[in-house]
Order: sequence, then structure tokens, then C-alpha cells
Amino acid sequence: MTLISLDLQSRSGKTLAKLDVDSEDTVGQLKKKFHAVNKKYYPARQRMTLPAKEGQKSGEVLKDSAKLSEYGLSSGSVVLFKDLGTQIDYSTVFFFEYFGPLVIYPLFFFLPQIFYPGQKALPLDQRPLVQKIAVAYWMFHYAKRIFETYFVHTFGHATMPIKNLFKNCSYYYGFAAFVAYFVNHPAYTAPDETLSLVCFALAMVCQFSNFRCHTILSNLRAPGETAYKIPSGFLFNYITCANYTAEIWGWILFTIGTHTIAAGLFTAAGAFQMAEWARGKHKRLQKLFDGKDGRQKYPKRWVMFPPLL
Amino acid sequence: MGNPYLLVYNAALTAGWGYVLFLTYKTVLQEGGWTQEVFEAVDIPLKISQSAALLEVVHSAIGLVKSPVAITAMQVASRIWCLWGIVVPCAATVIPQGLLTAGQQAALGLPGWANINFITLMTAWACSEVIRYGFFALKEAFGTPPYFATWLRYTAFMVLYPLGVSSELTMAWRALPDIKARGLFSSTLPNSWNWGFDYHLVCVLVMATYIPGLPQLYGYMLTQRKKVLGGGAAKPKAKAA
Repeated sequence: MTLISLDLQSRSGKTLAKLDVDSEDTVGQLKKKFHAVNKKYYPARQRMTLPAKEGQKSGEVLKDSAKLSEYGLSSGSVVLFKDLGTQIDYSTVFFFEYFGPLVIYPLFFFLPQIFYPGQKALPLDQRPLVQKIAVAYWMFHYAKRIFETYFVHTFGHATMPIKNLFKNCSYYYGFAAFVAYFVNHPAYTAPDETLSLVCFALAMVCQFSNFRCHTILSNLRAPGETAYKIPSGFLFNYITCANYTAEIWGWILFTIGTHTIAAGLFTAAGAFQMAEWARGKHKRLQKLFDGKDGRQKYPKRWVMFPPLL
Repeated sequence: MGNPYLLVYNAALTAGWGYVLFLTYKTVLQEGGWTQEVFEAVDIPLKISQSAALLEVVHSAIGLVKSPVAITAMQVASRIWCLWGIVVPCAATVIPQGLLTAGQQAALGLPGWANINFITLMTAWACSEVIRYGFFALKEAFGTPPYFATWLRYTAFMVLYPLGVSSELTMAWRALPDIKARGLFSSTLPNSWNWGFDYHLVCVLVMATYIPGLPQLYGYMLTQRKKVLGGGAAKPKAKAA
């Protein structure tokens, strides 16, 4: 129980506040104290770091759950503050990202008179079977994602900057309209029906595999645990980001089942982004689980998409 | 000295674009040619020099050069689009026409040389590239480039950017009817992979992106100029106010 007075400064060196805290308090509690002083900066928006040491570009980021004493902070210590900008909950972003496609795609299916003006569209009962399967599959996919957001996923970070919401929604809404436009077009040419049925059946297998992967990931940590764990079981025994594998294969099968290049472009764009994330995760796990000092050694696994990555 | 490959790359491109600039003005001043003759004269050096810019995206992606991949890709893409997507395929339409169509020029009784668009395009492109690649070549060779190279790099853009952008947009504007009539690079439904592509629409959208694009790029270069050159040009204005 040692009362200390911390000097909270902006990165230009100006003192923003002098905060009186206990050395056994957590960083999270320190952030609440600053929020009380300055109502604009709610805790999720605050980033606190130690000043940079010799040779460092920037100082160590203070984790919310850690105690102030763990960072060697005492009275008069300087803590640097950075405003992360308006923050939004991960789950809120996910909901809006996925709700858009859930609604946009079927609009093209049900209202061709709006989206294909002047073109004669077949009445619903005469539409090619694959168009009907595709709209059902697409809606199932995004409904599943919303379900997972609220009932399956556990998020490593609670919030993200609000500009990500606009960036992400543009991507999802844009591609939803792009793919929907071509699959539901009055001049759509359906591929062989058997091929479509097989593709979509396999795609559903991918959906369930992806769901299983997500439940495995969410069960990796018990509530309150913050340490990284090595995922295992099911496809994770062979692939670090097995959830991405199933996701990408699902979209490849959607593309082949609908014979639509626009869907192929959507698949490629998603795969490209997932590859970036997967490489980062794979590298992080290899670095953490290096087999030294009694730590496990991360097993040899594919990153995301055997045999290519 | 820095990276020898980058030195060679930047020096080669300085020479390539310098040659384009030389050929442009040789054709006009010495041979009495105009847009058509310039276009024929710069043909290969222009195509090689501009296409070589694609390597810059690779350099950025592999971390050889510090610039952000997305910005580099956007800048190179717009040049490649203008050269290979507008000027080359629609040369017969865009080389003889500028801000005015051939018909409008004739109606106004203007001489043929009133259309300067391809010449301003070559001037803007070649000057800015010689300055830019030259700056990087000198940087690789000497660590710090001589002041005049830095000054040119952070000053010439003030005239060359608007000149280049207006020339590019004029070219695209003149090409649009031709693109639509020929269905250039476009595909229509129905086809077995359900792909439709309206290149005319894409060109219009690309042209629209120039509207927010130029002020952003221009503003960025102005901020860089202030940082690098110290904003000397700004001071007299402040005194006058």
C-alpha cells in the first residue's frame, strides 16, 4: 500500500494530469482515474506507455490488467498518454459489417425491377435453382457470422477505432452488391445443376467446419485467462488458421457452384487479407512457443491454406 | 552509397524519361512536328519508362523502399491506366484532340497546333519523373542529394501536378466516346462465367477519384515541402498579410 503520484504527460511533454494512485492499483484503475479528470477520454480510448528508453523508438505499452508496481512506477514517474480516437466495440462493428450483406444480397434477388431496370427478370418460381440456393447460402453465412459474434467469439481487444467501421462496412457492403448483382442478373447463365448441388453441399460442410473451428478457438482460454495457447484438435492439428481454410474453401465452392467471376474476386480479396492476418498469427505463435526455458515448441503446421501457404 | 540496384534503377529511369523529354522537344523545335509526330517519336521510350514504374510497387511491397505500398500502387496504377488504358488504345482519337474536339477547333478557326494536350502531358510526366528519379538516384549515390535536387523535387510539383492531372483528364475525357462506341475492354452478359465489365463506366469512376485525389496528394506534398525546405516560401506571404 504505497500511495504514489504519477505525472501523466502528452507525447510532447506537456503534463495533462497528476494522478494519485496506489502502487498496487492496476493500469485499468489508473485509466479510470484519468477519465474522471477528463471526461472526453474514456478508458478504451487511452493508451498509456512508459517513456522510451535508450535506443527504443517508443516505450512499453501498459497493459490494463497489470499492476502499476510491475512497471516500476513510483511517485513522480512519467507516464505518456496517447488518444486512440473514438472507439467502438468489436461486436458492434461485426454486427454492422455482417448485417449489411445479409440484407443487401437478397435485395438483388427479390427486387430485380430496381437493380436491373428495363430488363426482363424471371418470376421467382422460374429462377434457376442455383440462384435460389446461392441467396439462401449467402444469408445463412452472414446470419451464422452474427450468431458467432454474440455467442461464440471471445475478443482479444474490446474496441477498435471508429474509422475501421466505415472501412470494413465499405468492403463488405461493396462486395455484397458486386457479387449479388452478377449472380441474380436476369441474363445469368447457370452452370450444370449437379455441379452446383455438389459444390454447395461441400460448401455447407465448410460452414460447419468453420463453426467448429470457431468454437475450438473460443474455448482455448477460460474466462479471465490472458495467455496465448496453442490451438489443437480437428484441423488445427495441421493448420494454424484452420478457420480461414474452411472460410476460403467455402467461397471457392460458392464461386464454382455459381460460375461467377465476381464471386471469385471476392474470394481472392478475402483470402489475401486473411493470409496477412494468418501469417502474423503464425509468426507470433512460433515466437512465443520457441521450445526454450520449458515452453512448448510450436509444432510444424501449415499457416492457412495447404499446399500454398 | 546506398543500394546499388536502386541507384541503377533510378538512374536508368532518369535517363529514360530524360530521353522522352528530349525527343518531345526535338520533334517540336527541330523537326517542326506536333502532337502526332511527338507521339510517334516517344513511343518506345515512353512505354518502357512508364511500365518500369510497376517495379516501384514491388520495391515497396518487399520493403526495399520505405514508401507505403497502397499509395505507390495507386499512383503507378493511375499512370498505367492513362498510358495503356487511354492514350495507346485510343490514340487516333486523343492525340489530335485536346480541350476542344477537332470539330470545335475548326469551327473556332483555330490552327491545328492549338491542341497542345499530348505535349503538355509529356512535359508534365517527363519533367516530374526526371526530377523524382534523379533525386532518388543522387540520394543512392551520395547519401544526401545536392540542395538543388531537393528543391526541385519539392517545388516543381506545384506546377507539374496540376499540368499533368489536367492533361490526363483531358485525354480520358476525349477517349470516353470512343471507348463507349468500341466497347473497349468490355464484356457483356450473358456468358458462362457471368462476368460483365463496362470499361467506360470504370473510366468515369477513375476520373471521379481524381477530384479528391489531387487535393490530397498536393496537400501532402506541400506539407512535405514545409518539412524538408523549411517553408521559406511561406514567410513573405505572412509578412504581406
